[in-house]
Amino acid sequence: MHDLTFAFVGAGGDGAVTAGDIMAGVCASEGLHVIKTEAYGPQIRGGESSATVRVSSKPVYAQADAVDVLVVFSWADFARFQNEVLLATDAVIFHESADAPPDEMSSRTCHAVPFAALAREAGAPASKNVIAVGLLTARYGLPLELTRHAISRRFAKKEAAVIEANLRAFDRGVIQEETLPQTGKEQLEYTSSEPRLLMSGNEASAFAAIHAGCRFFAGYPITPSSEILHFLSEWLPKIGGSSLQTEDELAAIGAIIGASFAGVKSMTATSGPGLALMAELLGLSSIAEVPAVIVNVQRGGPSTGIPTKSEQSDLFHAVYASHGDTPRVVIACSDVESSFHATVDAFNMAEEYQVPVIVLSDQSIAQRRETINASVLQHEVRERRMATPDDLHEYRRYRDTPDGVSPMSVPGMSGGMYQTNGLEHDEQGRPNASFNVHEAMNAKRYRKLDAIAERYPLFDRFGAKRPEVGILCWGSSIGVVREAIAHMGVEDRVGVFAPIMISPLPTHDLQSFIDSCGSLLVVEVSYAAQFTQHLRTQVDLPRAKTTVHSRSGGKTLAASEVEAELRTLLTNVSLEVLA
Amino acid sequence: MTASPYSPTDYKTDLKPVWCPGCGDFAVLNSVYRALSDLHIEPHQTAIISGIGCSSRLPGYVETYGFNSLHGRALPLATGMKLAAPNLTVLAVGGDGDGLAIGGNHFMHAARRNVDIAYFMMDNEIYGLTKGQAAPTTPSGDKTKSTIYGNPEVSVDPCALAISLGASWVGRGFSGDVKGTTELMKLAISHHGFAFLNIISPCVTWRGDHQTKELRAKLAAIPADHDRADRTAALRFTSEPEHLMTTGVLYETQRPTLIDEMMEIRDKAIGQAPPPGREEILRVFAPAM
Repeated sequence: MHDLTFAFVGAGGDGAVTAGDIMAGVCASEGLHVIKTEAYGPQIRGGESSATVRVSSKPVYAQADAVDVLVVFSWADFARFQNEVLLATDAVIFHESADAPPDEMSSRTCHAVPFAALAREAGAPASKNVIAVGLLTARYGLPLELTRHAISRRFAKKEAAVIEANLRAFDRGVIQEETLPQTGKEQLEYTSSEPRLLMSGNEASAFAAIHAGCRFFAGYPITPSSEILHFLSEWLPKIGGSSLQTEDELAAIGAIIGASFAGVKSMTATSGPGLALMAELLGLSSIAEVPAVIVNVQRGGPSTGIPTKSEQSDLFHAVYASHGDTPRVVIACSDVESSFHATVDAFNMAEEYQVPVIVLSDQSIAQRRETINASVLQHEVRERRMATPDDLHEYRRYRDTPDGVSPMSVPGMSGGMYQTNGLEHDEQGRPNASFNVHEAMNAKRYRKLDAIAERYPLFDRFGAKRPEVGILCWGSSIGVVREAIAHMGVEDRVGVFAPIMISPLPTHDLQSFIDSCGSLLVVEVSYAAQFTQHLRTQVDLPRAKTTVHSRSGGKTLAASEVEAELRTLLTNVSLEVLA
Repeated sequence: MTASPYSPTDYKTDLKPVWCPGCGDFAVLNSVYRALSDLHIEPHQTAIISGIGCSSRLPGYVETYGFNSLHGRALPLATGMKLAAPNLTVLAVGGDGDGLAIGGNHFMHAARRNVDIAYFMMDNEIYGLTKGQAAPTTPSGDKTKSTIYGNPEVSVDPCALAISLGASWVGRGFSGDVKGTTELMKLAISHHGFAFLNIISPCVTWRGDHQTKELRAKLAAIPADHDRADRTAALRFTSEPEHLMTTGVLYETQRPTLIDEMMEIRDKAIGQAPPPGREEILRVFAPAM
């Protein structure tokens, strides 16, 4: 067995999430590929929680559709996660022996384990989760000593007695495993390799900002993006930067525009409702040509929607927000590692081309922890085109140039003074309401997007060269599509084109792909099919040969959904060939 | 006092103000030129940020870095600018509608944070640019284009707000008194912390010619024995009888600014240790083994 998904489900205080963290950390240390997700009930604190950890000796691109190994501390809590925790048909279940399985579990492999009693015996009644970790570590062939070490580290801030009790609990779990039936026992097959880094998409975006040279962050707390604020408020002060928690999202983007005007690379992060508030200032960044990076972590919408769950429904908003003709760049993340790259690219584009850049992430990427490669640090960092002494001679801040980028001065530069504004302005930055200036300045600002599109034609293209079925998708759906194709083994029949640049789209490559496919399938998590609609504004997507799989968020996109669509489409193709 | 390397006219741009003849903002602009000159302020080390409104056009007329931003948003931009470049002299300017209505939330937090900037509010008790609607400062009962039966709302005193919100320097000036306003601006700019200067600046177009005359008649200089450090005493000048309007420094205190606090945070975060490199930060994500 090379690929295994564990889940822990329990009430608040059962430590389901901690158990998941320990398992994920141990596996990442072993060099395995890991994806860990969490789900919670609606309570602010306490309440039911679940942690799902997928580990594999090969790269993984999404959480598995179904769980292979389930630890249940309470069946009542398990019932609350029926949308999040789906069981594989051959799933193995370890449940609290004091809580008998419900009837619908009668056909499944259930092992009763007295987690609570064993924890009490170990002298740490709250250590049911550690008992479970010990049991699974032994059962699935993970390194015992390493896991013991991980447990000591996890509880390092507690008293020595607590650490010892938890280690006893771990050992007790290991022993307990020997008492269970050994038939059908399968261990994870892998060769230990260099430890991998484990981080969330939000952490990847935050770290990317530091990598890219960001030294000012302003943000307002909002689920599911707040971890970016948390990380940067801890780390920016250590490297000579600063982080400001503002009174609202208007102030957040206002502050970063001010800081960026003063020459410091700056970023804000938010979710849909915050981006809505930022819309007017997005336009200010665009017309005043002040670099700004905005990370938007999508959640279920509209309005307050479903704050804790993922959806791909801010695409229109990111692409079109703000009144007037407002050039901006929208770049998408598809997993944790790409959250890093998208954010560094966002800074590079914002700084070099003096435009606002929106990084579109979503809850499913932003809050899952995943193993990434330390080689991300190789990502090149680019700088702002600053005014040279030559430029400062009779300086024109908004000088019309072939690529639309005018060298920028910042306060402190003698001879670089200018007054900018959100009013339409001439090359000097003076307010101007004439048609000619407005037309020329719009053209100048939009020309920058052409330069960006040419320089950053970012997209993922994989699978068949001349696909019978071509899939179009973006963001967090890409990993799921990749899993579906691999699971079906149809890499030679199905091809995928997934733009990373959402606006401007890599239209040339996109159209060539569309034209090369027998039929097309668009996959997205938006009831209104925003991605499909967006594509239709930019490329010719023939209706007759296009199927759209689009639905609301609130439930993770499953590979099985894509597989079902593919089975139908591939059968149709085969029938056509036969006819 | 040594002669300033910059005369007031050195700060003039060649843009012609869009203001109506007789607008109080011309005098405010003159005071800005004089205050900058008197303080020997380097134009290229200065940024003036405004929101939207008649008075928010001011940055375009001053030869420094300038940013005429969005309605209500001068203070967030100014805050970000100051944090990014603490050595800059940062001024925020704008009107009463800009700062108290649409931007009211930012006023509260800039004052509370004690951002080290000076904020000049040109207060004409009306919306001028949009042609004559009631503002939060319009006296109760006044007829304006949007309150044709009389303003049903109680007006707010910007200085009372500033003092309550935690501004560490609060003053009131009258645009017609260029000399007095210049002196107040100099004190505000020199103050270490958030300095709020409410400048009564009449609108001849929408408040009528009589406004200037009436205001002038109400002017009174703050008593020489007023204790600026006394908050309660300061607040008394924000609820004066109708025939009185006291100008001068109402309140002044010293407390750490946002920049001071940020420096303190950097010290807490790292002390004298060298800043961590990217590889070191990345190690945070190495599983705890």
